[in-house]
Amino acid sequence: MELPVLNDAPASKGGCAASSCGTTDNQMDSLPDSIREKVQNHPCYSEDAHHYFARMHVAVAPACNIQCHYCNRKYDCANESRPGVVSELLTPDQAVKKTMAVAANIPQMTVLGIAGPGDPLANPERTFETFRRLSEEAPDIKLCVSTNGLALPDSVEELSKHNIDHVTITINCVDPEIGAKIYPWIFWKNKRIKGVKAAKILIERQQLGLEMLIAKGILVKVNSVMIPGVNDQHLAEVSRVVKAKGAFLHNVMPLIAEAEHGTFYGVMGQRGPTPDELQDLQDSCSGDMNMMRHCRQCRADAVGMLGEDRGDEFTLDKIEDMEIDYQAAMEKRKVIHQAIQAEMDGKRLEKAEKAQLLKQEPKLTTRPVLMAVATSGQGVINMHFGHAKEFLIYEASPDGVRFISHRKADQYCGGDSTCGDGESTLQLTIRALTGCEAVLCSKVGYEPWEQLEAAGIAPNGEHAMEPIEEAVLAVYKEMAAAGKLDDAKDSVRASA
Amino acid sequence: MAVKIIESCVNCFACEPVCPSNAIYEAKPHFLVDSKKCTECEGDFPVFQCASICPIEGAILDSLGLAINPPGSLTGIPPEKMAEAMAELQSH
Repeated sequence: MELPVLNDAPASKGGCAASSCGTTDNQMDSLPDSIREKVQNHPCYSEDAHHYFARMHVAVAPACNIQCHYCNRKYDCANESRPGVVSELLTPDQAVKKTMAVAANIPQMTVLGIAGPGDPLANPERTFETFRRLSEEAPDIKLCVSTNGLALPDSVEELSKHNIDHVTITINCVDPEIGAKIYPWIFWKNKRIKGVKAAKILIERQQLGLEMLIAKGILVKVNSVMIPGVNDQHLAEVSRVVKAKGAFLHNVMPLIAEAEHGTFYGVMGQRGPTPDELQDLQDSCSGDMNMMRHCRQCRADAVGMLGEDRGDEFTLDKIEDMEIDYQAAMEKRKVIHQAIQAEMDGKRLEKAEKAQLLKQEPKLTTRPVLMAVATSGQGVINMHFGHAKEFLIYEASPDGVRFISHRKADQYCGGDSTCGDGESTLQLTIRALTGCEAVLCSKVGYEPWEQLEAAGIAPNGEHAMEPIEEAVLAVYKEMAAAGKLDDAKDSVRASA
Repeated sequence: MAVKIIESCVNCFACEPVCPSNAIYEAKPHFLVDSKKCTECEGDFPVFQCASICPIEGAILDSLGLAINPPGSLTGIPPEKMAEAMAELQSH
């Protein structure tokens, strides 16, 4: 089956793709129905769905067959949230048990992924044993897997036998010269191979695997890590190539590199992209990048809604004591999923109607504004400023409201034990909101209120429990009416 | 004649399936090599299989006790640069 190529025509650079404009914000309009059906309730693909549905990763795949310069295989940390990091490795049996425990306790969980901490397909027995058992024992859970692609061609047949929703391939380049700057070595045919030769083999295998999956009718997403000065100029070409071959989505993620991670890039001082650089590239890669702007680059053992990690509630010793009646849980899950679906459908409809109304209003001519939102889910403003671990960034403009990205906050109000250092962490949080002109949350304390105002970010607690886009639009209109947006504020560009 | 896995092993399992002699086994706190079984891949491969997939510099020693993958050989990070970065971190 040949999947159609999406977004052949690039969205106008710098602007937003038409499909995501307005308060309808439907980022999936460009997808054919068959694919949209598969992904619209997937928290990783649907900005909409990520407010409602949860995902989890099980860390069953420790071995890797390549080295990437942004990865350190020694890393094992409970406090870091980034790919390749896990706290405990699971056997397939433990992974199945954990998945069922999470599915029973977090009924919003719809998706189970295997993403490491090594390469899932370099651990075929552990990975496929987990998939095989889950497709039998928990058939209501979508399965997905990510890979560097080296072993992919050997696994396509097996992948097609399970209930695999889609496969993610990390493709950082299609040029071996660039690849040699990203991958120091691969293990291939009983030898460690280095340099351009290694990159060439890896690229060939990735492309072959991609073609084979498409031929089997399996959805393929491509992830790329944006590394300034290494592959940033090249990723538009990667995007073009993988989409021409039938990948339904290309997700560009920023490099995470700090010296304390002990990675090549971290130690050598390679920097990650700025939010502006990332957004420029995402915009130039084409409209469907909008679908992934809420990507959180999860740990390989993350549990819960995107942006949260409830892994601590499901450690091995804890799940050992849980009695799970999965049949009963599945019934309950079904009811809850239907209710969520109805709520989402209702909200989508409502949004579409509101967008229609907006079109009929005289169009504003004011400049765009970035606003930060504190939410814990359900698509409403329902989090206290000081409790927010991250903020969602929205852009309001005369065209409507669009989701731009998320930014991590340093929680300054963590309770007694972490207090004392409060002021500087509040400052950090405020710095994370640079460029935003308002922050919408359920409540804001007195001290942060003053500091936010001093930083030029208007705190706003008036829209608690209201739908995010509506609230953002309302605040935008208030700002416009108050004449705050008449100046062509050139220092702030609409970016995140 | 046998290789040895030492404490810097991160238990990633990569070496276990590639050993032609089934000499590597999971153990606590880290994987070990059964020295009676290890053949140093002689007769099977021209290079040590375990050390060819191992991602950790210095984690596997040859029969002379030398690191098969010395510092800097796998990550490409010059050892002095690594030492510098670690010293910098510890001073904070």
